[in-house]
Amino acid sequence: MSPSAVPPPAVAPARRGAHADLLTELNRGRSALAEVRHDAAIAFGPSMRVERFVLGNGLKVLLLEDHTAPVVCLQTWFGVGSRHERPGKTGLAHLFEHLMFGETEDVAHGAFDRLLEEAGAETNAATFLDWTYYHTNCPKDALPLAMKLEAGRIARLVLRDPQVSSEKEVVANERRQRVDDDVDGSVSELLYREAFKKHGYGWPTIGWMADIQGFTTDDCTAFYRTYYAPNNASLVIVGDVSPGEALRLAQEHYGTLPPSTIPIEDVQPEPPQTEERRSRVEKPTPTQKIAIGYKGPALGDFDHAPLVLLNEILFGGRSSRVHRALVQEQEIASEVRGWVGSFRDPALYDVFLSARGEHTGAELLAALDHVLEAVRRDPLSQGELDRAKARLELGTLQGLETVSGKAEQIGFYETVLGDPAALFDKLYAYRRVSVGDLLRVARRYLIDSSRTIIEVFPDGTAEDDDEEDAEEEVAA
Amino acid sequence: MSTATGTAPAVHIEPSDALPIVSVAVTFRSGSAHDPEGREGLARIFARMLRRGAHGYSSQQIEEAIDALGAELAADVSVSSTTVHFEVIRRSLDAMVDLVANLLARPTFDERELSRLLRESEAEIIEARDNDRALASRAFRRTLFAGHPYGRRVSGHIATLRTIGEGDVRAFYARHICRANAIVIVSGDVTDAEGREVAERLLAGLPEGERVADPVPPPVAKPGRHLVFVDKPDRSQTQMVIGGLGTDAHDSDHTALFVANTAFGGTFTSRLMQEVRAKRGWSYGASSRVGFDRQRDSFTMWTAPAAADAPPCLALQLELLHTFRDEGVTDAELEFVKRYLVRSHAFDIDTARKRVHQRLEAELYSLPEGYHEHYVDHVQAVTREAANASVKLRLSEDDLVIGVVGTHAEIGEVIAKAIPRLASVTVVPFDVE
Repeated sequence: MSPSAVPPPAVAPARRGAHADLLTELNRGRSALAEVRHDAAIAFGPSMRVERFVLGNGLKVLLLEDHTAPVVCLQTWFGVGSRHERPGKTGLAHLFEHLMFGETEDVAHGAFDRLLEEAGAETNAATFLDWTYYHTNCPKDALPLAMKLEAGRIARLVLRDPQVSSEKEVVANERRQRVDDDVDGSVSELLYREAFKKHGYGWPTIGWMADIQGFTTDDCTAFYRTYYAPNNASLVIVGDVSPGEALRLAQEHYGTLPPSTIPIEDVQPEPPQTEERRSRVEKPTPTQKIAIGYKGPALGDFDHAPLVLLNEILFGGRSSRVHRALVQEQEIASEVRGWVGSFRDPALYDVFLSARGEHTGAELLAALDHVLEAVRRDPLSQGELDRAKARLELGTLQGLETVSGKAEQIGFYETVLGDPAALFDKLYAYRRVSVGDLLRVARRYLIDSSRTIIEVFPDGTAEDDDEEDAEEEVAA
Repeated sequence: MSTATGTAPAVHIEPSDALPIVSVAVTFRSGSAHDPEGREGLARIFARMLRRGAHGYSSQQIEEAIDALGAELAADVSVSSTTVHFEVIRRSLDAMVDLVANLLARPTFDERELSRLLRESEAEIIEARDNDRALASRAFRRTLFAGHPYGRRVSGHIATLRTIGEGDVRAFYARHICRANAIVIVSGDVTDAEGREVAERLLAGLPEGERVADPVPPPVAKPGRHLVFVDKPDRSQTQMVIGGLGTDAHDSDHTALFVANTAFGGTFTSRLMQEVRAKRGWSYGASSRVGFDRQRDSFTMWTAPAAADAPPCLALQLELLHTFRDEGVTDAELEFVKRYLVRSHAFDIDTARKRVHQRLEAELYSLPEGYHEHYVDHVQAVTREAANASVKLRLSEDDLVIGVVGTHAEIGEVIAKAIPRLASVTVVPFDVE
């Protein structure tokens, strides 16, 4: 983030002596790895505060007390995602996310979930381009169990067949469901593959099918030893818990884990795109579709906030420009949507348009280009900008309703930008965006020569027949 | 706090100052079950028309006003209800209440907007053919509840949408949108008194009216085993839903069946998930559910195996259902699932929105007294005998509907062969509706 994007100081240096008595007590008799220090008290919006602590082994503990209900969300964010893989081994971060629910030296296969469910907890995990995280929602009484099990699988996971083979099958089925048999999923995968020729954002997080099926247990073990270490993780705890209890549990369960040497990422910056790229696919879908990826800014870039606002004006709701033009006035689209990628490195501004009836992708693209030409040429109105800001403010607040919503924002921004409260930095940045900023980002990013287009055509099998009597009775 | 006297609108408020936002839902006890024969989709079209013109506001002006206030508005229709709900930043609450009260009391039902919406809705029906899971669900419900309101599609069909006119929309509005048919819930950054004032202002422009009777009769089981195969090209994977009639919230064994089903397919480590996913890796997801509405709804098992695994997966699920009925749940399974349900209950009520929605549900479905308030006690009281008796009584192996989305030429025959005692097979092109 450039200096001018920095909001009023949200990160106050830790006051001398903050938590001093507590830390002295907690550190008494602990090893160097388990010693905990207070790193920062960080304002999380106008009325909440995240405390960041660090253990001697490098594990970050981010704590937000929320005593509105007797529940806690525990999330562990690792700084590893599909971008850290290499060609031929794509999908390993995601497969590994599945394997982390398996056997450890202390817990039999299947027992991880069983023990937590029995305690009333719910678990899940997610992997994306920049990160992987593990999530447990639990009643407050179950936090000790949850942290014990979490730490156990970071340190003592057992990787062997037939569990690895079985989980590969599950992931292959997940891929069929989310990508191969899903028009949106397969088009998105193709869009990123065509848009990124060098950078790791070009391969899918779930991995290519051949790679998924080719993984060995040794691949998984090597990945585990490389990336699953306390100094590559942030533990986020939000809910009805005190700092003393949370830190004591962190020391007890994570304080023996040694740090690793995290490899320097061999990142390959994407060269500038100077020509439009187009691909065409056929799918068993009733109407033509078109996906467009404009090269966009990284999450931490000064331009990210104005581009998010511009997207809101173009695609946010029924009063947005593209919805109004393509869906309501011209009636050539049944669905339009846009999304500004939120990644560490520059990624895509994704646009997806689905044609109505016999209308074509070419018509959709021409109509979109007409709208985009206008926003590159003339300033948008202050009213449109104000409405977009109000929509984003509501969306930000809605994401904070539950303990898991708060934990997810804290973990995401800590992992990608190094600031657990950057969600609010974003909100402050939205407030400062001017109509001129919108004009600048429209002219900088909505460029034909840096876009990638996927055209989707029905494969000829779909027919517009709405007659129920098309059902065919077959003798059993 | 709540009020629900006579035919006055029921109002429930759940204050919380955790965030500066307020959530409101105005629900009417009428939904797609009230669509006239041949006009399926009417309730949903009516609900969507509410934001497409009101006294002093065009459709575009309504959208811009909502956005400017930092609000979201949605209109949803289910079989038994029509709900207008909104969420708004606290500072804009008054203005948003005025706007929504105007939408409810003085809609214009402009003919051009209606034509536009009907064309949009047709396009959405076509677009929905891309969603295999939804295709499986519709085929299943259409077959299980054939001729019953629960078997209808809430969004209607292209043919029925083409019969809907302005008069139909106005007639639906006149009959169903009145104070006596309404339930209002408010949660978030308001006091109880403020919430009540919000509810009163929202309904102020509506006639008193009468509560509309529920036209839905109890569904009757479809005898025999029936396969409905939705044929879609190039499927590497199938979506399968297997089931029959399930539970009614007023059944004396309702909680017992709910608990037994949770052990069978309601958690990540349940029997179904273990057998299908953990042991065999056949499907990313595997679950079962007993839902309810005002009447008995369905029991369903869901999986999504690769095409080649679909026949053995289907056979396995039928076997698991047989064992479930025959032997029921074990003591260990029952104890486990009761602990899970009781302890995880904290997450059913951890936000004001969830708490007030429980009260809406109780009103809307006329749930037995204390349904949510005594949930934990009810779960604790379930015995193994009661759980297993409910499974045997309520779930059938003989009367089953199996909905499958796949490529019929490749797996249609083997799927049918995997189902013993199959009474009928219906093959439906995926683009039939």
